[in-house]
Amino acid sequence: MTATSEQIRRVKVRPNYDHIAWKWMRYSAVLLIPLVWFHLILQDVIVGVHAMDLDYVAQRWANIGWRVYDALLLGFAMAHGMNGVRQVANDFIKGERARTIMSWALFIFWLAITAIGAAALIGGVRQDFPLN
Amino acid sequence: MSTLKTTLTGYTGYRGREGHYAFLLHRITGLGTVLFLVIHIIDIALVYLSPKGFLDVIALYQTTLFGIGEIALVFCVFFHGINGLRIAYFDMRKPANWSIETERKSTRITLIATLILWLPATFFMARNILIHNYGLFGG
Repeated sequence: MTATSEQIRRVKVRPNYDHIAWKWMRYSAVLLIPLVWFHLILQDVIVGVHAMDLDYVAQRWANIGWRVYDALLLGFAMAHGMNGVRQVANDFIKGERARTIMSWALFIFWLAITAIGAAALIGGVRQDFPLN
Repeated sequence: MSTLKTTLTGYTGYRGREGHYAFLLHRITGLGTVLFLVIHIIDIALVYLSPKGFLDVIALYQTTLFGIGEIALVFCVFFHGINGLRIAYFDMRKPANWSIETERKSTRITLIATLILWLPATFFMARNILIHNYGLFGG
């Protein structure tokens, strides 16, 4: 009986967009758990927000390794998060047209926020600003 | 609007206990995390776009109210990660575990594991707030 149901189940289906998006959630999550947890434990628990200033960010980003780390966080976390929002929104939006608009809006939003983050990562801390 | 009502009624009306709560918590913690993520990308971008603005935001994050929000955020991230691992493990390795019994048991384990990670983190973050904002513990 088990064998029969197994045979019926195994049908090759060409992966569509949502299949790929679903896989993306799984694979990015595997990376995000060590990346985000370590980031949180280091910055929020060990260092703490009271020790944060421009110098802290500048010193951290002086190391290319941390910039790569933050770039991975930016890329994976934001894409994982935006696709998650899309999945939740699909529960509330049923119309085909409305879903298309929502998906495009989220895509543009994702692109804009990622671009802002990437600009800062590449540009670094602007310290020529007269600070008091 | 009717879709919104139908979905929300389904979210709240279904009484699946632990499995249901795990689903709702996964969504709430995910949405909470992504909300802060967007804010966080923008505030860090300020080091390049407007360093003065960055200092203002950091001062805001150092307040007690945002400190409590930070503690909540850490809960969200830990729960979302552990629950995500549980979902992925069941889906890929143990699909037979998608039963009401195992769902209830595993959700409780997920919550306990979250607390084990979250409570020590909360201790240090709360201590930081008490030291810097209230001058306690020799602050």
